[in-house]
Amino acid sequence: MKQREKLFTYVATLLFIIILNFLLPRLMPGDPFLAIYGEEAALTLSAETKQELIAQMSLDKPLWIQFGAYLHSLFRGDLGYSYALNAPVSSVIAGVLPWSALLVGSALILSTLLGFVLGVESGWRKGSRSEKLILFSIIGISGLPSFLIGVIFLLFFAAQLDWFPLGGALTPYSDFTGLTLLQDILKHLFLPAMALSLTQLSEILLLTRASMLTNLSSPYVHTAAAKGLKPLGIRYRHAGRNSLLPVSARLGVSVGSALAGSLFIEIVFAYPGMGDLLHQALLNRDYPLLQGIFLTIAVTIILANFLADKIAWRIDPRMREE
Amino acid sequence: MTRQRNHLIATWIIGILCLALLLVGCTNQAGQPQTSKTGEKSLTYTIADSVGDWGFPSPWGHYQRGPGYVRLSLIFDTLIWKNAQGLIPALASEWDYEQSTKTYTFKLRDDVYWHDGQKLTVQDVVFTFEYLKEHPYPWVDLKNIKNVETEGDRVKIILNTDFAPFLTNVAATLPIIPKHIWEGVQEPEKYTEPLAAVGSGPFMYTDYNKEHGTYFFKANENYYGGQVLIQELKFVKVNPQMVAAALTKGEVDAGSIQPEMVEQLKDKYTVLSESGSANVKLMFNHKKDPLARKEFRQAIAYALDREDLVAKAQRGHGVPGSPWLYVADNKWHSPDAQQYEYNPSKTQELLTKLGYKLEAAQDGEENSFWVKNGQQVKLELLCEASQIRIAEVLKEQLAKVGLNIEIKSVESKTRDARILAWDFDLALNSHGGLASDPNLLNKFILADDFNSARYSANEQLVNLLRRQSRAMDEAERKTIVQEIQKIYAEEVPAFTLYYPNSYWAHNGKMPLFYTNEGIAIGVPIPLNKMSFVEIE
Repeated sequence: MKQREKLFTYVATLLFIIILNFLLPRLMPGDPFLAIYGEEAALTLSAETKQELIAQMSLDKPLWIQFGAYLHSLFRGDLGYSYALNAPVSSVIAGVLPWSALLVGSALILSTLLGFVLGVESGWRKGSRSEKLILFSIIGISGLPSFLIGVIFLLFFAAQLDWFPLGGALTPYSDFTGLTLLQDILKHLFLPAMALSLTQLSEILLLTRASMLTNLSSPYVHTAAAKGLKPLGIRYRHAGRNSLLPVSARLGVSVGSALAGSLFIEIVFAYPGMGDLLHQALLNRDYPLLQGIFLTIAVTIILANFLADKIAWRIDPRMREE
Repeated sequence: MTRQRNHLIATWIIGILCLALLLVGCTNQAGQPQTSKTGEKSLTYTIADSVGDWGFPSPWGHYQRGPGYVRLSLIFDTLIWKNAQGLIPALASEWDYEQSTKTYTFKLRDDVYWHDGQKLTVQDVVFTFEYLKEHPYPWVDLKNIKNVETEGDRVKIILNTDFAPFLTNVAATLPIIPKHIWEGVQEPEKYTEPLAAVGSGPFMYTDYNKEHGTYFFKANENYYGGQVLIQELKFVKVNPQMVAAALTKGEVDAGSIQPEMVEQLKDKYTVLSESGSANVKLMFNHKKDPLARKEFRQAIAYALDREDLVAKAQRGHGVPGSPWLYVADNKWHSPDAQQYEYNPSKTQELLTKLGYKLEAAQDGEENSFWVKNGQQVKLELLCEASQIRIAEVLKEQLAKVGLNIEIKSVESKTRDARILAWDFDLALNSHGGLASDPNLLNKFILADDFNSARYSANEQLVNLLRRQSRAMDEAERKTIVQEIQKIYAEEVPAFTLYYPNSYWAHNGKMPLFYTNEGIAIGVPIPLNKMSFVEIE
């Protein structure tokens, strides 16, 4: 029953986002055609093509028929056409999606691993000087906006020390293949992924630390200690493992905030992902592309939350009992 | 069982991460790619661009902005071209105009080959004009062309009416395309095969990557116009803040830089600066009172300290506006037009003449204000969010002379729509395109567009604007254009506040320069293809 309710919430959220995405350009002042297709379309399209498009989107019909036409094209995977980029929105987004996934995915793995280890350690060392140092530095860094961390990284590690490239996802027109290409991609990925994961770190750290504190005072931990198990084993295998539960449950939210953070990081590092694309779309006032990106991001976040729920439900027996 | 599995997964993840870090570490020494270092030997020239993607470099593939055209122009040649001084021959070695028949004749060179080896002939030129009539190319307006004919190695282009901007706006802009490739293409905007980028210019298309925003061109060894000085030309995407670092590291040879970087770079690199092609201007709603009176508009013009505005809103990186549209060092500018030197007492004088009275400030109010028929003068200044700073300076300056301004910041589309609908008092607007053929005057004074003043109240001005494009004699045209500017400055249908500076830095390996009146129809980017060609 509980699961079904949850599923309903997800579907309702998705529908709400689709409706919002549909309504916003139509509520903007001025010609909805221009709001949907952008000024570029007015420059390049002939009057006939414009009429054709208006008919195709039912822009001359009542709102609910327009919505029907909108849903219809959405289900066919048609997100509209970007006249500024002279390409279908879906193909433009599909082109950058792998890079965004690589960046956000690696940043999430990095921040989860680091945050977890630091959370376990700071929970274990509660009250010590090293705990204070961890908390102070990580929370301090996470307080900075992601683009600022990005710029500092770039200036120091790329411009000053020349350890990493100044941006992009790979060296353009190098002859790299196979392993050298992989190296090149990782080298370009390292700084943006680090910068992004640093901003996500504190949340996971604090979450792990809090549940670590609860777990450490639980009877099973005392039992493990009484059995003479090594502290490292108690810390990670017993208390630490159970502290992972809230972290995994929050994974969905983390995907959302990492995606939001990546929008800025990508601009700073000229990384060819969704954030960079969104930035260009904003500058061009490319409304079809903006809408497509918003929808993709919203659906990704909903999916991530849904998956995180599923995972938490699977690995935590208590959730199933509820 | 599960514990072991989890363990295994965790070990795997950590293992992969360690490997990744190791790989990254290794690349620091060995992986520095030679190609990105622009050594003298490889003769690769790399240009940084903050946007990167400007579309596929074919006439219908590139995005309709300057940088898109510039990439196209490196591959495709036009009948004639421009350098820093003016028009130069390109595909056509000579040209002339016969006014009685309204015919331009271009004599084509006979040593031009397309990148695929085929010879370029007059048929290609005729085909280009015919194809463009069917598939319009937004950069060139062909409406005034009556017919295109051939006569041996000559192409005759017959016009409907005399059209002075023809040479720059058509002959030096229209990319000639190969007939044997395009004749079967029905939807040119969807045709983005490598063949669609076969041109006759100094560079040959090799690659374009939309996601990464990169271009890769190779030198055309058989270029008719001279030897190409480099072997490879690349465009790469670089964050604008990092262009200076990329130059210093040798990763790029040239790039557009932000004003803040000029000081840092000017000793070691060549810094090119340009102003006058873009402007920020104050639009007046001259369709309603009080701004319908030109004296009122003049009064505002006298109250604006443009030097102060450049210092405050642009941190000095700009040129104070000229009331006649053209920047003062432009060859078309009118030296004896009204200047509107900052003079608040002139504002007082003009407003008093119009019947306004200056009332002293009451308690609690800082400034005095103007009143007519018991009504206080209050004007709304429409702007978009990025112009707030400029608006604040204007408000402050106008408050000093007793003019009360209320700033209204809206989304730029809303601003444009409201300007177009005359739903404003004052509005801030910015646009480029001022460094091109004087035909721009019609576009920014008469055209029905939100960038235009749409001012047809002065008949003499309208007549002169109509005449200017038909004046085929340059001296005659100059006189007309200067007269237009004088009237424009006198009428102040809109008021140019300043011209922002834009900067490029390069390492001097290639002699980059700004083109006279901009590349083609006026692109103010110092990437003229002739910079890369050794002229015999």
